[in-house]
Amino acid sequence: MRPPWHSTTFRVLTLGAISLLVAVLAHRVAAPSRRLAWRSTLAPSPAPANPPGLPERRDQPLPSPSSPEAPPQGTKPAAPAPRAKPTPTPAPAQPAPTPAPITEISSQEAWQAFLAGRPFLDARRSGEFTEGHLPGAWNTPVWEADLDDRLLDFKAQRRPGAGDAIVIYCSGGDCRDSHLLAEKLLAQGYFHLLVYRAGYPDWVAQGHPVEKGGR
Amino acid sequence: MSRWLLHPRLTLLFRLILGVTFVLAALPKLADPPSLAKAIWAYQLVPALVLNPMALVLPWLELVCGLALLAGIWVRAAALWVGALLLAFSLALAVNLAQHRPIDCGCFGAAGPRTEVERLTDMRRDLLRDLGLLLLVAQVLAATAPRKP
Repeated sequence: MRPPWHSTTFRVLTLGAISLLVAVLAHRVAAPSRRLAWRSTLAPSPAPANPPGLPERRDQPLPSPSSPEAPPQGTKPAAPAPRAKPTPTPAPAQPAPTPAPITEISSQEAWQAFLAGRPFLDARRSGEFTEGHLPGAWNTPVWEADLDDRLLDFKAQRRPGAGDAIVIYCSGGDCRDSHLLAEKLLAQGYFHLLVYRAGYPDWVAQGHPVEKGGR
Repeated sequence: MSRWLLHPRLTLLFRLILGVTFVLAALPKLADPPSLAKAIWAYQLVPALVLNPMALVLPWLELVCGLALLAGIWVRAAALWVGALLLAFSLALAVNLAQHRPIDCGCFGAAGPRTEVERLTDMRRDLLRDLGLLLLVAQVLAATAPRKP
């Protein structure tokens, strides 16, 4: 009788097992910018059900920058919450309700949003971000393993309300990374997401300011 | 089958070609798994749950099998893996070509920006290359088939 390691099936399975083992080991030592999470962040994960200590926020007026409110991790998932109709109370800063939670914006609208101080999220790879990005943009590479940490950092520092405009961009052309990031944020309860489709190449072509270096 | 088709030197040549191809294909993917995940995602054929594990393990499988073919160790098992992978790659390319969806192959790492027409042309070329490599795999498998006593 032949020993089992002479069988082709055994060898096929062993080659597969060796590859899996090495992949696990290599993943542990990979540099953060080259690391891919084992679990895809593209699958719309349900938002946490209102973690303790965080107020539930479904729909709210835009918080002031100095508002001590907690970041909106505890928001209701996905469903684009319709905004409340304007009340008689003075709320002149309230923009018009957006028809869709994810909207593509033009180059000009992106520039206006930049001038208005809206937060910009850069969905490209962190290497591309380091080479150049919009001034003040947040480095949120949609394909890298630490995306969730980076988003938490953005929320903790910037404290965007669920209805605040957030501009997302990537490399333009057929790049879908900004849409993927927008869908992820939508699943986390944000519903005013502006995708600057022409992206960074257009920004550079327009002669707008850029910033270099990572963060 | 003709004797020359199963000649050991032809088998040696074919497994060296397959080995070098798979090692060269694996290296850029190993260096940047997120790019591979993005490339696989663009095929729109792999569920999100499988996407990242696939992008993490596939290059190592290519490397291990490529090295086995080059070293002449467990050649038949490695050729079976390589054949299965080539079959899967060909099917994925063919499905996207049939749907006129221009994508980057991702076969040898990330490609530079190209037009849709260039992408579709490259996909046809990549499909033909994979089918050609499958013929080499078939020869290696036939030449290493266990002989019945």
